[in-house]
Amino acid sequence: MKRKKNSYYYNKLQNYGYIFIAPAIIMFFIFLIYPMIYSFYLSFFDWNLVGPKIFVGFKNFINLLSDGRFLNSYKVTIYFTFLSLLIIMILSFFLALSFTANIRFKNILQSMVFLPVICTMVAIAIVWKFMFQSTGLLSYISSIIFHVKIPWLTSYTVAPYSMIFVYVWKAVGYYMVIFLAGLLNIPEVYYEAAEIDGAGFWSKLIYITIPQLKNTIILAFTSCVIFTFSAFEQQYVMTGGGPSRSTEVLGLLIYKEAFEYNKFGYGSAISVMFFITLLFFSIIQLRIFKSET
Amino acid sequence: MLIIIGLIFIFPIIWMVLSSLKLNKDVLAIPIKFLPPTWNFKSYYNVFTSQGYDFPRYFLNSVIVAIFAVLINVFLSTIAGYGFAKYKFKGNSFLFIVILSTMMIPFQSIIIPLFVLIKKMGLANSYLGLILPESLSGFCIFLMRQFIKSIPDEVIESARVDGASEFRIFFSIIIPMSKLAIISIIIFHLQWVWNLLIWPLIVITSPEMRTVPLGISLFSGVYFTPYPEQLAAGVSAIAPILLLYIFLSRYFQTSINITGLKE
Repeated sequence: MKRKKNSYYYNKLQNYGYIFIAPAIIMFFIFLIYPMIYSFYLSFFDWNLVGPKIFVGFKNFINLLSDGRFLNSYKVTIYFTFLSLLIIMILSFFLALSFTANIRFKNILQSMVFLPVICTMVAIAIVWKFMFQSTGLLSYISSIIFHVKIPWLTSYTVAPYSMIFVYVWKAVGYYMVIFLAGLLNIPEVYYEAAEIDGAGFWSKLIYITIPQLKNTIILAFTSCVIFTFSAFEQQYVMTGGGPSRSTEVLGLLIYKEAFEYNKFGYGSAISVMFFITLLFFSIIQLRIFKSET
Repeated sequence: MLIIIGLIFIFPIIWMVLSSLKLNKDVLAIPIKFLPPTWNFKSYYNVFTSQGYDFPRYFLNSVIVAIFAVLINVFLSTIAGYGFAKYKFKGNSFLFIVILSTMMIPFQSIIIPLFVLIKKMGLANSYLGLILPESLSGFCIFLMRQFIKSIPDEVIESARVDGASEFRIFFSIIIPMSKLAIISIIIFHLQWVWNLLIWPLIVITSPEMRTVPLGISLFSGVYFTPYPEQLAAGVSAIAPILLLYIFLSRYFQTSINITGLKE
């Protein structure tokens, strides 16, 4: 018995789709979408969780724009995000490229680079905190080999870079795997044809590899921006905001405003700014990448 | 050359393990001692029998939360993935985009309202309060949908012709054929839940409900910093996931690969 695709029964069957997606949609709405909306709502109030909510309109936002601490945090987060993004993307891409060639111990080496990704950030943060201490391993190396004492976590100029260093170390493996997957999907024939035409390493890279990787690059870039912008645990454990708030990223500030100073309305306003910024970046990235055909 | 890079990546972890077995004074001693001059296996014992910090309990909590969060995640992701992939209904694309866009809502931007919500539901400081929010992953739904899309329609059609109900099709055909993707999302989500600090930090207020990352972040000595013990706690936290990775490494990488990069 053959059914025609347009039959009534077949169309009714498609409604089963609603049943299948329902649990997920409900859960997502309750625990992700509704909180998102509620966050916007809360940002118009002054609230310490136990007292009444006091409606203040846009006052939180106006205060934010003149709040030195918020502006500093915003700046720190943006700097952290984009510098890390740059280094991570370049490093992970070239690492992935190197791993497409046939090297001995390829799997083991790949695993070694990937290992920090799955380690608990808290544990990692503690290790690096020790290594960065003035009697720690890194300080020892830098003073013996380079004859310079680097205040890794104690100087407000150096600390942000130390954080970027650790973050990049931990994250590169993840994006390397993403790029590797994309690279392995490029058909060999393109390269062979190019080589016949006499293309060198850089030509192949620019004219074949990168265009073929467009979707991969979009994925890598957008997820890197989102994850890095949301950094929290590393800063919380390693520096608590750093010497003179030099590593106080937005994630950390939101947490402090709400759960240490009990300013839930103000914290929500920061969350709103946080989200809007992320949205803005994502839209820009999609624009940039879509326009490059 | 690459070997050096590999070593750089793995070096801090090695140092961590070695230092967890040193005596307190040797961890940060100058000149640097790479290997423990005296081996101190007591550090791990101290961690797990520590008075103020009930690490065995923390591990139990982490295990419970991880298992249930992952189970719920697998359930939600597989059925939603199937629903989105194989059914044409009005709003399919729209709702899928909604789910995708939740990937852009990192925990940090909703910790405040989520906390208020959990509190109102009476789930603060409870297992459910940890498990429910931690069981959601738009990425996993995306992954399952991509994977299930590649299952031939004919298989499903012929099962319908044979009279199978939609749920029967789901359990008997889709699930077995998606084993690879399911294992991948299990691993992907498991390591995220296990390592998560921010949510337990906010929701948990009593010591006996703490998860491992939370316990480690609070673990400090009264009169001095117990370096080897802190490192030992860290190693213990990493160890389960590490073991999982050693045995199942190809699934870790596969989970990132099946992102359907060719749309």
